[in-house]
Amino acid sequence: MNDEATSNADRDDDTTDFGFTRVDREAKAGMVRGVFDSVASRYDLMNDLMSGGVHRLWKRYTIELSAARPGQTILDIAGGTGDLAARFSRLVGPEGQVILADINAAMLEVGRDRLIDKGATGNVEVVQADAQALPFKDNSVDCITIAFGLRNVTDKALAFRSMLRVLRPGGRLLVLEFSKPTSAVLGKVYDQYSFQILPAMGRLIAQDADSYRYLAESIRKHPDQETLLGMMEDAGFGECRYHNMTGGIVALHQGFKP
Amino acid sequence: MTQHDPALLSAALAGAEQALNQAIALAPHSHQELDSVSGTLLGIEITTLDLNVYIEMVAGTEVRLLAHCERETDAFVRGTLEDFAALATTDDPAATLINSDIALEGSSASLITLQQVIAGMEIDWEAPLVELLGDVAGHQIAEGLRRFFRWGEGARASLKRQVSEYLLEEGRLTPPKAELEHFYDAVQSVAMRVERAQSQVEKLLAKAAARQTPQ
Repeated sequence: MNDEATSNADRDDDTTDFGFTRVDREAKAGMVRGVFDSVASRYDLMNDLMSGGVHRLWKRYTIELSAARPGQTILDIAGGTGDLAARFSRLVGPEGQVILADINAAMLEVGRDRLIDKGATGNVEVVQADAQALPFKDNSVDCITIAFGLRNVTDKALAFRSMLRVLRPGGRLLVLEFSKPTSAVLGKVYDQYSFQILPAMGRLIAQDADSYRYLAESIRKHPDQETLLGMMEDAGFGECRYHNMTGGIVALHQGFKP
Repeated sequence: MTQHDPALLSAALAGAEQALNQAIALAPHSHQELDSVSGTLLGIEITTLDLNVYIEMVAGTEVRLLAHCERETDAFVRGTLEDFAALATTDDPAATLINSDIALEGSSASLITLQQVIAGMEIDWEAPLVELLGDVAGHQIAEGLRRFFRWGEGARASLKRQVSEYLLEEGRLTPPKAELEHFYDAVQSVAMRVERAQSQVEKLLAKAAARQTPQ
């Protein structure tokens, strides 16, 4: 268990983590919005920089694990620039539906444009929504994915309960998120990369070192694999498990609505 | 929780999938044949690597390679890496499938059709070369490539025949196939006779033991 266990955003006080800083719970959403407003137009470039392009492989495996099939309804929360939604759109076909949801209007705007460019339009709906209070009917979605978005949610337990409500019985939740490297050596290399190289790249390429520093810090404050697994189980998800990827730098958690 | 890092496997599959789909796009003659197996899902378990891979024929021109699939497969094959390498390169997939240690569940027809289409795929190098280099240079280079591949194919067949002839006739290093099959039959026959003799001896020993037992 990492230090998230004690500094979790869901603990009983009025502050929460914003990277390594404690901020007012009410203020976090606005501050996260500020970061993503700043990086929205370069979000894919940022992901490529942060992961060395490997985020495409992590997302590819997430799509495989979703077992999405024609006619299903898929909700992609914090869907950002719509790369998962575009692929789901093909898998569910014209009789299915994909909902691209994000709390950030700037990200959704980029995502919507990208989806139109890729021809994914007929079966995709774009919705500005907060993961903690999803504006969808109970038992209405077959699969929910949230890729690299959960760590920015203020109250993760509330978000999990909201996702559980929206999922159909038997539906699955997939959480793709940065996590804790399984090897100490890899962890040290990764720390150096995150806190030295990444902000420098952010400064050089996007003239925005602070946003990149926040992203690195928010990864460290995010619950590790086992803690997140416990949070999903506490929220009511069943058959919960996770797959470590790239030595645990990223973990894909899966749970089903009983 | 999984033994293989899904990201590594995804990288390998993404690369292979891209190469395969590019090859299919350059082989228009195979599209119709591939269309006949459209929708087919094949599962492969490579026991030596403890690895499962799925091949999904999406449409006549697209193949998906998956590390994870929950749909029921049309055919599922299980074997070692060596077995699969032999199956992929054989001229007679049905015979290789029967004679190898590959275990097959489901329909073998779709697997054999897919192997034959891939093995017989004639890639048209001219279209991308013409697009890249223009009509004249593209056509000349494509013609050169075609000649090179024809020569390579002929040279390979000729080398295989000559090596085979040398080993059999000149060097007498390997026995002819018929002689080898006869030898295997003889070994099998001896093995069966030994088994029968062993069974008779055991029966006789049991009888002798019964007679010696005091009433």
